[in-house]
Amino acid sequence: MNALLQNVRARYDRAKAYVRGHKAKVTHVVAQIAIYVFLITISYVFLYPVFRMISISFMSASDLVNPEVDWLPSKFTFANYAIAWKVLNGTVSLTNSIKFSGLMALFQTIVSALTGFAFARYEFRGKKLLYTIILLSFIIPVPILLITQYNMFNEFYQLIGRTGQGQGLGSYDSQMIMAFFGQGVNSAILIMIFVNFFKLIPNDLYEAGKIDGASPIQLFWHITIRLSLSTIVVVFLFSFVWNWNEDYVTKFLVGDGIDLFTNQLGKFDSLFSTRTTGLTHPDAGGEIQLVESFKMAATVISVIPLLLLYFVGQKSFVQGIEKTGITGE
Amino acid sequence: MARNKTLRALTGESRIENQNKIAYLFIAPWLLGFLTFVIYPFFKTIYNTFFKITSESIGLTYFYNLIDKGGNYGTAFRNLYFFPQLFDFIVMEFTYVPTIIIVAFILAVLLNTGVKGQGIFRVIFFFPVIIMSGPITGILYWNGAGSLLTYADNIIFKMILSYSPQLAEALSGLFGNFTMVLWFTGIPVILFINALQKINVNLYEAAKIDGANGWQILWKIKVPIVKPTAFVCAVFTIVQLGTYTGNPVFYTIQNSIYDRGGGIGLASTFAAIYTFVVFLIVGVAWFLLGRPEKIKKVELSSIQRINMEALAQRRAEQKKGTVTAQ
Repeated sequence: MNALLQNVRARYDRAKAYVRGHKAKVTHVVAQIAIYVFLITISYVFLYPVFRMISISFMSASDLVNPEVDWLPSKFTFANYAIAWKVLNGTVSLTNSIKFSGLMALFQTIVSALTGFAFARYEFRGKKLLYTIILLSFIIPVPILLITQYNMFNEFYQLIGRTGQGQGLGSYDSQMIMAFFGQGVNSAILIMIFVNFFKLIPNDLYEAGKIDGASPIQLFWHITIRLSLSTIVVVFLFSFVWNWNEDYVTKFLVGDGIDLFTNQLGKFDSLFSTRTTGLTHPDAGGEIQLVESFKMAATVISVIPLLLLYFVGQKSFVQGIEKTGITGE
Repeated sequence: MARNKTLRALTGESRIENQNKIAYLFIAPWLLGFLTFVIYPFFKTIYNTFFKITSESIGLTYFYNLIDKGGNYGTAFRNLYFFPQLFDFIVMEFTYVPTIIIVAFILAVLLNTGVKGQGIFRVIFFFPVIIMSGPITGILYWNGAGSLLTYADNIIFKMILSYSPQLAEALSGLFGNFTMVLWFTGIPVILFINALQKINVNLYEAAKIDGANGWQILWKIKVPIVKPTAFVCAVFTIVQLGTYTGNPVFYTIQNSIYDRGGGIGLASTFAAIYTFVVFLIVGVAWFLLGRPEKIKKVELSSIQRINMEALAQRRAEQKKGTVTAQ
């Protein structure tokens, strides 16, 4: 017994001596643990709504009202998803969302690349002023522009006789036109990403191209575009995601004309009552509670394409934001 | 002397005249769009605020009405909803933005200490940027998924509540929606990490030699250097919050367009006042973070000065020595 105590004592002393001798190291380890605890806690807070969303999306009505069911539903079922898909008008909305976000992103990428090229390569009159204006235009709130834009498009469509269901203000045309002229969602940031990347391309390449008699368009295509494919992907992805998530401008300029994931989700409650008539749910509990799990399922559905995109192009997204170079320069 | 085309292409002067035309060609689509869809609407909407506008079958008709009870501005001030909502918006900006900036900075500093799994944390902190849209934040907000902390029973919160209900309300707006607030930190975290990584490591070394601890390094080196980045983040967050579903002003403006009573004139007035407020908030951010820092003059003691001079002299001699050696 005594020997054991002595042994323990000796070990304790050794540990104490170790701590004294490696004070810096021990504090380091403690600090590391503290940092991890903090970061993991914050990560949990970040992901909490998503976990909650996924968990609720699988719950049946009885699970929702059951206080014993907190995270795990009593049985996993995709029934909620099937109904949510129907309410969202899934197939149509998905195609529309992909089609329009893709087209808008394409327009935005092309115009931003052209503009970015001019700002990065050439010295022209009013360059500094225009660049400052691009940066400033970012802070102009959308409503002040939207009111007049709405009237402009309204008059324009009446002039060319494109009014009615699915045309003019009921269609995506207005936003398409604006994207084509470089005024889509967050265009300023996209232009900045391009300017900062194009500036990195060495001037010698252009000089060499010029000596070989290349025109500016050829320089742009064969040197700038060829060298910045990764940046183009970044800008396209960002533009795609932002257009996908955009709902305020869409609400103004498209209204109910087109089914898109984002705007369908925005008016889920009213759609639910019209699109699920005749559907009897096995356990009809409280009406509001019922909608909640369908709504969460719909949210998960509308987020899945973006998450897929994010996990494929995760590096590009982070690099893209770093590439804006707006950090203090 | 006649110069050939190649030489001319390589020299500076002739390039500039050409460049004007080519550059304008490249930016033409954007410039055209900018003039029609940003500059014109901006001033047109401000112009609209002075008129009562009614929609007729032939188009819009304008009646100048500024003299009559302050026109649209008078109506806006008398509106029961607009100014309280605007005030809520201002409170939201002033509570959310500092929180977002501070949390983002702390996260960036921690991620920059070289913890393992940095990539995973970055993926987690950035992903809300990808999925955040009006309807989604709206749905999560209304289902209470955004509030994680049960702040209402907290003793400190109750103390604040009895002391100043306004402050308590602002705080409950912040903590009741804390996760959604955190979701705005995605881009600021990346920007801060980027700024921190650009700091010259020699600065830390020099500070350590002078006996600075980590805390001092944080406050004297990291914070001043990332201040411009903080300004960028603040502006970005202010703009993002402007388009956030929790922003009450947006929908008032939208609904007022279709409203027969006020019409486009009143909606424009709301939008103009709102824009003015946003610019004001950006101005405050600039005042706090964006101004270039004054460089403080360091007072050296006489011994330090002698040492420095001696060092400079020695360096100069060394340089001279190497030059002559060559």
